Amino acid sequence: MSLGNQTRMLRRFACAVTLSATLAATPGCVPMIGYDDYPPDGYVATTAPVYFEGRPVYWYGNRWSYREGGHWNHYDREPAGLYQRRMQGPPVRRNYEPSRARPAAGGPGRRR
Amino acid sequence: MEHQRVLNPSKMGMIATVLFGALTAMNCGGASANARPPATAASASDVDEVAAGLTEHHRHHHHGGVTLIIALSLDTLGVSPEERTTVEKIRRELHARMEPARVAQQKLAAALADGVAAANLDATTVEAAIAQVSAAAAKVHDASTDALNELHAVLTPPERAALVDKVEAHWSVWQRANAEETDPANLDGSRLAMLTTGLGLTQDQVNKIRAGFGEGMKSVPRLNPQEIATHIREFGDAFRSEKFDAKTLTGANVANAHLAGWGAAHLAHFVEAVSPVLTPDQRTEYARRLGEHAGHSNGGDE
Repeated sequence: MSLGNQTRMLRRFACAVTLSATLAATPGCVPMIGYDDYPPDGYVATTAPVYFEGRPVYWYGNRWSYREGGHWNHYDREPAGLYQRRMQGPPVRRNYEPSRARPAAGGPGRRR
Repeated sequence: MEHQRVLNPSKMGMIATVLFGALTAMNCGGASANARPPATAASASDVDEVAAGLTEHHRHHHHGGVTLIIALSLDTLGVSPEERTTVEKIRRELHARMEPARVAQQKLAAALADGVAAANLDATTVEAAIAQVSAAAAKVHDASTDALNELHAVLTPPERAALVDKVEAHWSVWQRANAEETDPANLDGSRLAMLTTGLGLTQDQVNKIRAGFGEGMKSVPRLNPQEIATHIREFGDAFRSEKFDAKTLTGANVANAHLAGWGAAHLAHFVEAVSPVLTPDQRTEYARRLGEHAGHSNGGDE
């Protein structure tokens, strides 16, 4: 292998390590761009949130999501308080056309 | 030679890949015992029917304009037990303030149901009913300011934020519910698609309805979504603030009148396009459905 090739490979290796370290240092690894598994409007409008850490959060797509600065964000690791809430039952939902759907889920959708 | 072994390209790639995976996994929850909870009833695949029910609701109930959307948002605000009684009282007050508009909308729906059943929609009656919906909606906000101010005083800042989120979400659903007939890219789940399934419409009937509806809506002044969005944004900004006075929302009456009036006209013209192409059996069923909606216009007791 020539010296030039070795130098290029060293650079690539360094870049890969740097990228890994940067990702590892980023809290939550939240994919903010192009990720659409956040609560859709029809869900937010029909579902009671849980109030946690001073904001409404919604259990959707197997994780807790919340609005922040006009965008959705989520907890990458489920906080213990939200885990306990989830274990109490599914979120309360309102069904505006009962003939179209199963009865809305019961259970504690109230805060804290 | 030692130097060459260290710089072997395939080995370096493997090392980099392993490093990448290991470091990423360390951060993204792999070390947490409860990092990825199991699925429950509220996962993404289970929400469509309830959300679709809301879409259907917004196709038929427009009477209070944005104030109705605010009242609906209280249904799932999830307030604390201590606040629940007061919030429920305010919710009922808001619906009571919208009652004249609700009655006007109920009359429109009943007129449409009667017209479909008799295969004779009276355009004058329908137009008058639409105008009554719009006129009644124009008075809703002024009648509701005290209730809205009390609501702001009762709610905590997170609950206010949740209410604003819900109002914006309802508005998005409302727009999709009432605009999709004109958007060829969004016909699945539309009012016409629902009707096609519900009444067993043929493709020929669907084509005729679509053509007739497009023609009928030409006479209806276009709804300016920006006007409604601006009012909702003003409401949201004000309601999130520490101090709030609903009386300062000067664009509310106009927005409510436009939203309710356009929704009523949209519904009426859709029915006018559908009615002439139906068979007697389809007509009977469609009249029954319209009458059903007239009977359960959300008066706050549902």
